[in-house]
Amino acid sequence: MPITSELIRSVTADLYERSLKKIPEDTKAVLRRAETRDSSDTARKTLTIMLKSADESEKQDHLICSDIGIPVYSVKIGTKVHFEGAVRQAMIDGLADLAANIQPPILRMVTNPLTHQRGYAGKDMPIMTFDIIDEADYLEIICAPKAMGSGRWEALETFVYPTLEDIEKYILEVVMKAGSQPCPPIVVGVGIGGTFDYAARMAKQQILRPFGKTNPEPILAAMEERLLKAINSMGFGPMGTGGDTTAMAVHIDYAASHGFMPVAVALNCWINRRYGARIQNDGSVEWFE
Amino acid sequence: MSRTHHLRLPLHADAVRELAVGDMVMLSGDITISIGLPTHKRMVSELKAGNALPLDLHGGAFFHLSSYIRDTDAGPQALYMNPSTSTRYNPYMPDLIRLLGLRLVGGKGGLDMASVAAMKKSGCAFLSFLGGGAPLLSEAIRGVVSTHWNEYISQFRLTTLSVENLGPATVAIDAHGNSIYDDLKKKAEDKLPGILSELARQRQAAASSS
Repeated sequence: MPITSELIRSVTADLYERSLKKIPEDTKAVLRRAETRDSSDTARKTLTIMLKSADESEKQDHLICSDIGIPVYSVKIGTKVHFEGAVRQAMIDGLADLAANIQPPILRMVTNPLTHQRGYAGKDMPIMTFDIIDEADYLEIICAPKAMGSGRWEALETFVYPTLEDIEKYILEVVMKAGSQPCPPIVVGVGIGGTFDYAARMAKQQILRPFGKTNPEPILAAMEERLLKAINSMGFGPMGTGGDTTAMAVHIDYAASHGFMPVAVALNCWINRRYGARIQNDGSVEWFE
Repeated sequence: MSRTHHLRLPLHADAVRELAVGDMVMLSGDITISIGLPTHKRMVSELKAGNALPLDLHGGAFFHLSSYIRDTDAGPQALYMNPSTSTRYNPYMPDLIRLLGLRLVGGKGGLDMASVAAMKKSGCAFLSFLGGGAPLLSEAIRGVVSTHWNEYISQFRLTTLSVENLGPATVAIDAHGNSIYDDLKKKAEDKLPGILSELARQRQAAASSS
């Protein structure tokens, strides 16, 4: 039995809605730990209301943030998946269904960069990237909407034979520039190497990585640990009003490169919106955070 | 230790000068909100041309809160609200604070030192609201007092809402020239060389142990 356009359309809409209303459990767990440990009184109070807001959004079936961002979908297709009908168009239609039906209704955030006209749809919306999983008989879609609070501070720089020191310094500079503004505590995703476009894609994929999984590359596992400590010693704190909790995680990936080596830094705000679905060839859907 | 203030609008400058950075505020009364850049631009140009705004904001509270306004037969209804990053209005806020004698501004992420100076002169404080706080902040909405410049999209309009116990919000810039944001940024910049040498030490330790 193939995966139908209708199913992709409804999963696309569902994923966006779930990502807007439910903060991942791993994220809440990190916030809860920080709430008891942060040395700043303001930080602990801010973390308390963050957790309350997270609970209320679930209880009230409410949007946690008014800035619902622009929809970004990361799609991985198993080579044994069978489709019936369109995929891209089904996702565009799913986005339209969501905009028409979600309660409470969402604000218009999709903006034409040439005219600043706003709407619920636009050229190349939703943003979709496609990847292949060899031999798999399922389709995986993750929705991680991107809003201005954290999106405007993401950055990429191309180095020539950078040392680990150069790379770490650059990541800290990006975090320093964002400072109090990206609704910390943030998640920092980094892509090192590859090409301009691939580095950015790796950084985004690292944002989607669940917390608590050790990086399989020992050099990066150590880098993640020391950078998390370094960022949390900067002092920006929750909502940027001071404290020891500026980042929840630093996730880094790399790809073989040339002598030119791009380093991309992606950021997610504290609500860390991401929601995934795995669709089997038989049409069954498994949801994950 | 920070204090929690229950404030009712409108506020006298003296009441605002009581607020210190790090204090928490619960706010009641009428607030005006907008997150439109075109809105800010237009407000400044109207005021500089000597024209009145469509509502009297003198001595008022003006926040970078985004809101979904639904137009119903019974009038406009605010479904929810939530802050947006205030720094992008840096070019407009000093003029607005000065020309309107604003008592409270706010949103999230702060304002630059030109605004801090204007706030000190005017007797105005900046409140940091919780980003991702829509479910909590919206509970304070009691009704829509007015909406102006309705040709804009919902969140860009000049909307005045009646609120009860909006918050808690953190006083992040006070009326005495203190800014949490400026303070934290300076401290972080001062710490950076030490942070970088600590990273170098850890990299060397990792290299020699492998």
